Amino acid sequence: MNVQEDTTLSRIGQIAINAHDVDRATAFYRDVLGLPHLFRAGQLSFFDCGGVRLMLDKAEKPEFDHPSSILYFQVGDIRAAHKRLKEEGAKFEDEPHVIAQMPKYDLWMTFFRDSENNLLALMSEVPRPA
Amino acid sequence: MGISSIGQISIIVHDQPRATAFYRDVLGLPLLFTAGNMAFFDCGGVRLMLGPASSPELDHPSSILYFRVPDINAAHRRLVELGVKIEAPPRLIAPMKTYDLWMVAFSDPDGNIMELMSEMPHA
Repeated sequence: MNVQEDTTLSRIGQIAINAHDVDRATAFYRDVLGLPHLFRAGQLSFFDCGGVRLMLDKAEKPEFDHPSSILYFQVGDIRAAHKRLKEEGAKFEDEPHVIAQMPKYDLWMTFFRDSENNLLALMSEVPRPA
Repeated sequence: MGISSIGQISIIVHDQPRATAFYRDVLGLPLLFTAGNMAFFDCGGVRLMLGPASSPELDHPSSILYFRVPDINAAHRRLVELGVKIEAPPRLIAPMKTYDLWMVAFSDPDGNIMELMSEMPHA
């Protein structure tokens, strides 16, 4: 029998996010973004975001000390989420706006900074009335 | 109204055809579509957006993404066979209660460091 080795990259399990102050970043991801905090292990702080683990960490070496990739967080109501995050102190770079018109929906986005100055975004697919 | 999931992750690349070939043929991710100089992949429901930086400030390496694989040794062998630069061979990262967490670090063609991860149940 020919056994096929399974080498599929099935999904993303974790994303590392550089933080300069892990306590401050933990407060931001927990209290402003409202993500469930999983656990803390020394300088590592873990969150869950819909099944993907976010790992806040201090860069081990200067070469690794760069901002995070832009993570685009899905929200149901982007205006409401923008308003709430702004009230909680998140620094936004713009207002929610249509970034792409797809066949069945408009893709809305708005960009903001976390406590570590990483650029992040909210995104929402808003169905277009038929 | 809260955040439900991660919908997309941007990865800055400097040679889109080269990066597209790597993510499609080496990592084996489904290419969704290309739009201008950007390429979009699916990874288990999360979209990866590969493209150039829209400003110099954003031209930095990606966050480390940890891709789940069922068999880390087989996946590692495949990367080696395909000539991928391995940054750290398969290693035990954390012994958990019911499984061991193993990882392999590698680089994409733009030098972004990525990892494979696998939870190996205790015998």
